[in-house]
Amino acid sequence: MTTINLSQPLDTATRPDNYLTHTRGFMSWAFTLDHKRIGVMYMVSVLISFFVGGVFALLVRTELLTPGQTIPGVTADVYNHFFTLHGAIMVFLVIIPSIPAALGNFIMPIMLGAKDVAFPRLNLFSYYLWLFGALFTVSSLLLGGFDTGWTFYTPYSTTTPAGGVIPALTGVFILGFSSIFTGLNFIVTVHKLRPPGMTWFRMPLFLWAIYATAIIQVLATPVLGITLLLLIVERAFNIGIFDPSMGGDPVLYQHFFWFYSHPAVYIMILPAMGIISELISVHAHRHIFGYKFIALSSIAIAIFSFLVWGHHMFTSGQSPLLNTLFSLISFSVAIPSAVKVFNWMSTLYKGNIVLNTPMLYALSFLVLFTIGGLTGIHLATLNTDVHLHDTYFVVAHFHYVMMGSALIGMIGGLHHWWPKMTGRMYNENLGRIACIIVFIGFNVTFFTQFFLGSQGMPRRYYDYLPEYQIYHVISTIGSYIMASGFLLTAYYLLASLFGGRIAPANPWGGRSLEWQCASPPPFDNFATQPRVGDCYDFTAIRWDEKEQGYVTDPALDSTKNSQFAAKNLH
Amino acid sequence: MAIKTQTFIDPFQGTPQRFAATVLGMWVFLVVVAMLFLGAIMGYLVVRVNPNLEAPFIPEGATGLPVSLVFSTIALMASSYSMHQATLHVRQGRPQEAHWSMTITMLLACVFLALQVFAWVTLWQQNVLFGDSLYAWSFYVLTGLHALHVLAGFVPLIRVWRKTARGGYSKQYPEGIVYCEMYWHLLGAIWLALYFTLWLGMRT
Repeated sequence: MTTINLSQPLDTATRPDNYLTHTRGFMSWAFTLDHKRIGVMYMVSVLISFFVGGVFALLVRTELLTPGQTIPGVTADVYNHFFTLHGAIMVFLVIIPSIPAALGNFIMPIMLGAKDVAFPRLNLFSYYLWLFGALFTVSSLLLGGFDTGWTFYTPYSTTTPAGGVIPALTGVFILGFSSIFTGLNFIVTVHKLRPPGMTWFRMPLFLWAIYATAIIQVLATPVLGITLLLLIVERAFNIGIFDPSMGGDPVLYQHFFWFYSHPAVYIMILPAMGIISELISVHAHRHIFGYKFIALSSIAIAIFSFLVWGHHMFTSGQSPLLNTLFSLISFSVAIPSAVKVFNWMSTLYKGNIVLNTPMLYALSFLVLFTIGGLTGIHLATLNTDVHLHDTYFVVAHFHYVMMGSALIGMIGGLHHWWPKMTGRMYNENLGRIACIIVFIGFNVTFFTQFFLGSQGMPRRYYDYLPEYQIYHVISTIGSYIMASGFLLTAYYLLASLFGGRIAPANPWGGRSLEWQCASPPPFDNFATQPRVGDCYDFTAIRWDEKEQGYVTDPALDSTKNSQFAAKNLH
Repeated sequence: MAIKTQTFIDPFQGTPQRFAATVLGMWVFLVVVAMLFLGAIMGYLVVRVNPNLEAPFIPEGATGLPVSLVFSTIALMASSYSMHQATLHVRQGRPQEAHWSMTITMLLACVFLALQVFAWVTLWQQNVLFGDSLYAWSFYVLTGLHALHVLAGFVPLIRVWRKTARGGYSKQYPEGIVYCEMYWHLLGAIWLALYFTLWLGMRT
């Protein structure tokens, strides 16, 4: 069992430049084919969109402080625009591209020991598609806005007088193709660019997650594309298959939309789960428990994702038989999700846990995802869903999953790979404090909304009965706490770019390939394609005082240790 | 204009790996296009079988699918065949014949598009107008979407046609022409599915 091959920390000292300094000037970024630069460009764009979407969220929450009008000038109509923009920006511009396109682009090829993704030009094209899609979506603000909610339900979306609906739909259509091409690129990269020695079941779990995500992206997103296209045609010409006056079917739109958008929820959560697998294993310095179960549960979730879309439509009048089937299959999503959670818990058990910022985010994820996932069971249950449908209970549930899990995972991953991306360490104490502030703020905001929803407060309402006010006030205060946490995060991350300690190649003690090239990586990642062994075997990793980081020690990586690791695995 | 960027780093180790990877990428792309049309076909079928129609789905005055669709189908199938021949010629080292086959493919594609336009004009003359009924709407949208994809196919077709003119493909790894062929066969298959769906929709 001498399969573990060491690749020594590669030429950290011999390379004179890294990917950031290899070429200079605006054009060298605008036309770059380097996956790392494209990843950074995505990351910056996504974080700017996150800020904009967050501002709209705060506006929505502030408006809901009191019944009726709170902010002068914000009428019910303006409020509709606010929550629509918040939803559309957060879903299409932030969460969907955040992990695959931003972090995935940067990390995936390095994890594979490859020089780039399979199709670098297509990769740059995807980024520009994202940019144009984002511009279209945001330009709808100037063209009359759109107040349809991020779901664009018919017949409202085909009849609302708001002038920005078609630009917004076009924007989302373009964003969809950006997502498709990223997925295509990643599927081929994982299939064809794995290094010698990295079999499917030796890939880091992040790659499994990205791969499962990419499959959903290429299968589901075209359906969203055709749906939006038909909707645009319908709105432009006042006729189409969603218009009941001529024999069309508005519920058909819901079927189409959720056939994409339910899998899209897993486009958001799966890569976050991949990140959590990395964070928990690396920062607990313990071999991941149940590797194959975590890997295959990603694929299982990808398959289930296509069979549950009807649970968004229990009250739409679809047949009771369909409702029952969709309800049953939705329950079964709990199985692969729980498989992951239990395996992460087992990895932590007796691990050498370091409570640094990435680990705190990973632990937050475990708590928040469990709450979000379990409340999903309430909603998959037919009779409770009739009561809870379109209430704040649903809002709270999907914020726990989309924000509390997907975005928290993304931010945890951002901290984990920040030293690799920028070559600088951030302030660890501020990081911990900000994470705790975000965690508290998040729960104050959204746990309260479970009470609101179960007592009948409908979502998307501008006005409400005075009985609900106390919950709304608590929730709004929570959103301010959360916002301050994120502002603090922005502050210390930006500050680290200027004054942060220079990062070592391997600050956390990770074993996968990205920790074996310099921080930041050279422009071509690896001079020679490295060989790989078990990327969760930490026995050969030790702290080096001189490096101020972890190094791989060949002396520790004896056959005995590899066998020990292998025994632990089974 | 020379844009100063960093040099392109080829992620592949040689042509065989790139060829295999791009063929896989093309397969994924074909799935994407197929899903797009599958969605459109499903949408058409759902509104077609809607039991609550007030007026008949096929409006009065419409006399069925234009006959020209039969000929456009033959043209597209023939172009698929000549595309296949072109690749075969390249693989067997006959660049001259490959170029001729590509020329025929492009001519047949033009014939297909012309016949599709003719079909739209025929319907239009029968007073089956885009905004009047879902029958007309779905016919124009489905065939139009497909015609757009054929039209877009001219970009790779012309590139391949020009490259075959100078015999630019290797026998073992004829990269571009194979990718083009894959896309072209898919368009043929999708057209057959669309035609069948429309034909099915005409049954009452």
